[in-house]
Amino acid sequence: MSDIRDHLVALLGDTFEVDPATIRPDATLSELGLDSLGVAELLVVLQERWGVPLDEGLGGDDLTVESLTAVVTELRADT
Amino acid sequence: MTRPAAVIAGLGSCLPLRRITNADLVQEGLNTSDEWIRTRTGIRARYRVAPGVGTADLAVAAGRAALHSAGRTTAACVLVATTTPDRPCPATAPEVAARLGLSGTPAFDLAAVCSGFLYAAQVASALLTSGTFDSALVVGAETYSAIVDPQDRDTAVIFGDGAGAVLLERGTTADPGAFIRFDLGSDGTHSDLIEIPSGGSRRPRRHGDTSEADHFFRMRGREVYGQAVLRMTASARTVLSRAQWPAATVEAFIGHQANQRILDAVAQRLLLPPERCHGNLRHVGNTAAASIPLAMADAAACHLVGPGARTLLTAFGGGLTWGSAALTWPAATAFHLPPEPRPPQGEQHE
Repeated sequence: MSDIRDHLVALLGDTFEVDPATIRPDATLSELGLDSLGVAELLVVLQERWGVPLDEGLGGDDLTVESLTAVVTELRADT
Repeated sequence: MTRPAAVIAGLGSCLPLRRITNADLVQEGLNTSDEWIRTRTGIRARYRVAPGVGTADLAVAAGRAALHSAGRTTAACVLVATTTPDRPCPATAPEVAARLGLSGTPAFDLAAVCSGFLYAAQVASALLTSGTFDSALVVGAETYSAIVDPQDRDTAVIFGDGAGAVLLERGTTADPGAFIRFDLGSDGTHSDLIEIPSGGSRRPRRHGDTSEADHFFRMRGREVYGQAVLRMTASARTVLSRAQWPAATVEAFIGHQANQRILDAVAQRLLLPPERCHGNLRHVGNTAAASIPLAMADAAACHLVGPGARTLLTAFGGGLTWGSAALTWPAATAFHLPPEPRPPQGEQHE
């Protein structure tokens, strides 16, 4: 789980230019500066890197780093 | 080794006369802003037909421009790729053919939403290389202003009207403008991501149980983004592999002009530098099946790509459908014409 969170934090920093200092577990993707297409792009990267299915309806801008980590961990455990 | 191929001998385009800027949309009462539209789509303006002007009027003009570009007056068959035919029945292509003086030639529509042009190009290509016909006029033409809900911010800012056309002739893979390889695909399990829910056989208008909103075009933007990026990237890789072209050798890339962020995401994954990516999304918006030939005609008119340059096209649309083509850039000079009004029996002209 923490491994996936670390990857997510690195991804947000490297690909989405989010300042690592602002990436708190309870920060929503929208608070981190991702608009709706930014969230869509993040989901595409999750699909490419970890095979997270695009059609799982992962939610929207109100997803937090923590909740996204939990969803990805659970989906990966199912596959 | 050269082999028979469909070759682009002419390129034509048509845009309506009314240009609608982002500011115009705000002025019309749409809850948005120029900044919101630009950052999410890259679009600054799109064109809209005058009342009474339909897809055939744009298709005839683009088709005539493509024939003129090739120095021809005839084609052996006419294909019109469109989501927005003039009427639900009959197809638009026979009228387009007749108005081009080609009455009697085989003419049909092809529906694959935004992938329609590439679907039509491969069908026409097969008809030419099989020896069935020696030329084909392939038109992508759309009047999305007829199906978009003017109050739907997710679609009203994106879509525009227009048409693009190519005249294909039988030649060889050594000719500039030759289609080398294609890739097409579909996934109907996601048919509800991009749809007009009513007005077809499943929910006919006459039943009276459909709301006005169900007759508008709808798109689930965020899900479409993901599918579009993944499908176009995979399809582009497939066609490059079939053509045995390393991505680094692609000299010109034109993706379906859907949204700049989708185009950037695809180009980034294919490692295609911005200077090799061409398009006119910023000026014309998303014109669905018309977008690729319209963008090609625009790039050709501006002499942005040299004849023979390795070119990659890729598209994604409702269905879901997707497609890609590897071709060499044509030598033709592109022509542009305004919409062509219907002959006297039409009621209103642009």
